[in-house]
Amino acid sequence: MAATAQDSQAPLRGPEKKDEDREDESANRCDSRTVSRQYEQHSVWSCLQVITKLLYLLNQGESFTKKEAAEVFFGVTKLFQKQDINLRRMMYLCIKDICPGADEVIIVTSSLMKDMNSKTDLYRSNSVRVLSKIIDGQLLAQIERYLKQAIVDKSPVVASAALVSALHLLGNNAEIVKRWINEVQEAAQNKNNMVQFHAVALLHALRASDRLAISKLVTSLTKANVKSPLAQCLLVRYVAQVIQDSQPGPNGEQRPFYDFLESCLRHKAEVVIFEAARAICNLRDVTARELTPAITVLQLFLSSSKPVLRFAAVRTLNKVAMTHPLAVTHCNIDMESLISDQNRSIATLAITTLLKTGNESSVEKLLKQIGSFMSDIADDFKIVVVEAIRSLCLKFPTKQRALMNFLSGVLREEGGFEYKKAIVQSILVLIQEIPDAKETGLGHLCEFIEDCEFTYLSTQVLHLLGQEGPKTKEPSKYIRYIYNRIILENATVRAAAVSALANFGAVCEALRPRIIVLLRRALSDNDDEVRDRATLHLQQLEGKAGGPEAVQPRVDVNLTALEKALSDYLAGPTDKPFDISVVPKAPPPLRGAAGGLGLPSASTTSGGGALPATSAARKDPTAEYAELLRSIPQLAPLGEVFKSCEPFRLTEEDTEYAVFCIKHVYEGHIVFQFNCTNTIAEQVLEDVSVAMDLADAGDFEEAFTIPLETMPLNGVGQCFTVVTRQPGAIATGKIVNILKFKVKEIDPGTGEAEEEGYDDEYVLEDLEVTPADYVKPTLLGNFRKAWEELDPSTEKEDEYGLGQREALQDAVEAVIGILGMQPCEGSEAVPPNARSHTVLLAGIFVGYQQVLVRMSFGIDAGNNVAMKLVVRAESLELSEAIHQIIQDA
Amino acid sequence: MVNVLVVGLDNSGKTTIIERLKPRPKQSMEVAPTVGFNVEEVQKGALTFTVFDMSGAGRYRTLWEQYYREADAVIFVVDSGDKLRMVVARDEMEHMLAHPNLRKVPVVFFANKKDLPISLPPAEIAQALGLNDIQDRPWNIFPSNGLTGEGLDRGMDWLAERLGKA
Ligand SMILES: Nc1nc2c(ncn2[C@@H]2O[C@H](COP(=O)(O)OP(=O)(O)OP(=O)(O)O)[C@@H](O)[C@H]2O)c(=O)[nH]1
Ligand SMILES: [Mg+2]
Repeated sequence: MAATAQDSQAPLRGPEKKDEDREDESANRCDSRTVSRQYEQHSVWSCLQVITKLLYLLNQGESFTKKEAAEVFFGVTKLFQKQDINLRRMMYLCIKDICPGADEVIIVTSSLMKDMNSKTDLYRSNSVRVLSKIIDGQLLAQIERYLKQAIVDKSPVVASAALVSALHLLGNNAEIVKRWINEVQEAAQNKNNMVQFHAVALLHALRASDRLAISKLVTSLTKANVKSPLAQCLLVRYVAQVIQDSQPGPNGEQRPFYDFLESCLRHKAEVVIFEAARAICNLRDVTARELTPAITVLQLFLSSSKPVLRFAAVRTLNKVAMTHPLAVTHCNIDMESLISDQNRSIATLAITTLLKTGNESSVEKLLKQIGSFMSDIADDFKIVVVEAIRSLCLKFPTKQRALMNFLSGVLREEGGFEYKKAIVQSILVLIQEIPDAKETGLGHLCEFIEDCEFTYLSTQVLHLLGQEGPKTKEPSKYIRYIYNRIILENATVRAAAVSALANFGAVCEALRPRIIVLLRRALSDNDDEVRDRATLHLQQLEGKAGGPEAVQPRVDVNLTALEKALSDYLAGPTDKPFDISVVPKAPPPLRGAAGGLGLPSASTTSGGGALPATSAARKDPTAEYAELLRSIPQLAPLGEVFKSCEPFRLTEEDTEYAVFCIKHVYEGHIVFQFNCTNTIAEQVLEDVSVAMDLADAGDFEEAFTIPLETMPLNGVGQCFTVVTRQPGAIATGKIVNILKFKVKEIDPGTGEAEEEGYDDEYVLEDLEVTPADYVKPTLLGNFRKAWEELDPSTEKEDEYGLGQREALQDAVEAVIGILGMQPCEGSEAVPPNARSHTVLLAGIFVGYQQVLVRMSFGIDAGNNVAMKLVVRAESLELSEAIHQIIQDA
Repeated sequence: MVNVLVVGLDNSGKTTIIERLKPRPKQSMEVAPTVGFNVEEVQKGALTFTVFDMSGAGRYRTLWEQYYREADAVIFVVDSGDKLRMVVARDEMEHMLAHPNLRKVPVVFFANKKDLPISLPPAEIAQALGLNDIQDRPWNIFPSNGLTGEGLDRGMDWLAERLGKA
């Protein structure tokens, strides 16, 4: 620390220089021995100064050697005889920060204990804090009673200190801290805001592992009058957690605690209002009606004079816009004025929110506004903007030209790898999804690789050019760009360019002779890989080694399965050649498989934590469970899971066992996953499985079960029941479920479970398999084109009355929710005050069969909503299945 | 201002003795084993002693040396009834006196708990501890009773006199 210590210390030095200071200077280091000598000889004032300097050094990131630390530490301990409040405070800080080692630090225990019983508030509070940091379990038991007293101390400083210390102690000494519950409860009534805040936090932490207890605590706190705004914020968070953990009630039933959250929107303190608004926005499956009051207060915040409120509000609205664009459109005017906000983070969030909620006509205007500040913001934010543009382009394919131009514009500007990658990725997605965008997109990418410093991106673009270029109207115009790479780039890029060129030769016969000439030039490349590829491709183009078709072999197998098959093959005898025909075929490429709503998720590419992930608020259950399912060997023969449904509860609240079911749909099976929790500590439940009565579900046949060894106490364990059905069939029916297990009581005396248990069973709620379980959302570039490509004879049309609704948007959201398909072209947003509206939905059925839905809604003066539903699919049965979903709902 | 370091094995009566040195109203009768150390200030005539009451428990003895450098005097308390651990006390003492950080300051030995029927007389303790070998600094031994305060004044007077001379 020598040299820098000197510098950073300099500005702090007081006017009266001590001799020793001068010595220091000549030695050019901060000698801690000097420090300890100062302690003895000098006044409280100079001690204070020295400690301040030391703490400053520490906070500047300096570290002390063990010896230095010990010397400073013991030096400080010798000051305990001085009765000066300011000095003592600095001593406490010093002891906490410079902890030489567990063996040494205990030396201050007795001194701190003395301070803990002092009359001075500051001594009591700070000694408690320090003590709790250095103490072990045995000593803690000895001083427990003082800490309990401190929690209910008259002085708020002391009470808070004790509560915070208890929170820290909870980690290693939970048993002891739990005994203070009465005192903590008393502190939770304290009139002082800070004390109440800490007490509420501790009450919650004390129950952290027990969901039932948390729920009870939260209920009682929402009824009690929590005055402290910070404590109220905590409570809002806890409430949100409880709502999150509880299963949604049967349709229409109001969420527990929603009233509480809503009432918090009218709280005096802004923090509480914001916290409640945020909690409401984050509710799972939040409805438009629930959102409205929260959006209203956030809208007010948008025009607040405090930047932090504006930021908080726009950030929250930005997230909501992903799932409920319409709810946010009311704020558009306020949002637009934020585009010119001095704070760039606010401006960026405002812009991207507008992009999400905007309608087709405002796209150009927004692009112009963004263009004006794009160069002023950091890469992280630029990525957010790019992601937003991409989603917008997918939503309004007709605007692709303007959006694509914007992307290519920013691609030419300066930027780091992550940013460039996000742009290229977006262009790739757009080329794939929007046929009209292909030619321009490829053109932009060609220009980009002319001057691209990132090998990774160059190779990716070259590969794409090789794939898509030959299929365009004028393939020859790409060849020059690609060949230039072979001359100018590094080996990796050259190899990619060789393969791309060969593709042109293979697909376009007219170009083949020219390509062969160009590839020959690569034969003398100084890189092995480049030469090898050129040699192979030349052979192929000349009709050898499999011929031109072999240039790009069609690997239509599932790559994960292929990898596994190959390693199995290598593990066994290899005298027979590998048979690729046994490897499972790949499912057709899943478009935009990432985000829950099929939208490309931003969170995967946006770097840094500066912004909230703008991806859909809900996780895609299929992605969530995929790993778990893959890890279970018995399920491997079933193939890839097509869709996992949302969990639902099969037991009532507050019963002995909590069981949730998740349906996983496979090609020819359904796997029912049961998440089981035992809530009774006095019993052990073993060999748990669920027996299914399939009498009312004749199309299913039980295949096998995977039992759960023991049902964890207050944790979650899984058992599975697997049924078969005709591959690809939309089989439905109602199933009666019985939970079977062996009970072993726990002897209260010994705490051991009895040896022999007895078999028992418990009837769970029925569950139903419906057509909706077999369909999932898919992203579509051009709905009209896809619609026309489907056979009109599969079309099925019907009309439905949906009864009275508050607004058209409610009805639209409800039907989309029931069908679980992907809205296209932004059609899910109903323009304000519209009396009729058409929504387009795209989905795929198990077996990867497409289904498209066109729904026209109308609302009359009495708010009665009617809907015409037209379906086209790859077969009439599928179209009928969609109608079935609506009829069942 | 004089810094006095009070050491000795655990349970020998250090904290009790220091309590007895304080003015009566401030004395506390109840003492618990010291964890680490405590600092007290006591007045003796014209002198103010800053007393460092160290814990004698094994775990803390290695930490005594951190306080040697500023010690102007040492009080070493021995439990006269604890024959078994006399060798331990001697060992710790020799260790301390040989430590480079401890200056040649005067040492008072209190042969404490003299009221115990099995207590050894000071002369025997001096022998057991090998005090006669100490040549390089002033020292003296006094029988004492920490509970009543008997004998403490004599020791402290001797110390004050030594320090006055220095
Ligand atoms: N009979 C008798 N008991 C004493 C005398 N002095 C101290 N004690 C008792 O000895 C026990 C230990 O005394 P402390 O003062 O705590 O001993 P200490 O040396 O400070 O011990 P540590 O702090 O653990 O190093 C207590 O129960 C005292 O009451 C004495 O002169 N006679
Ligand atoms: Mg003691």
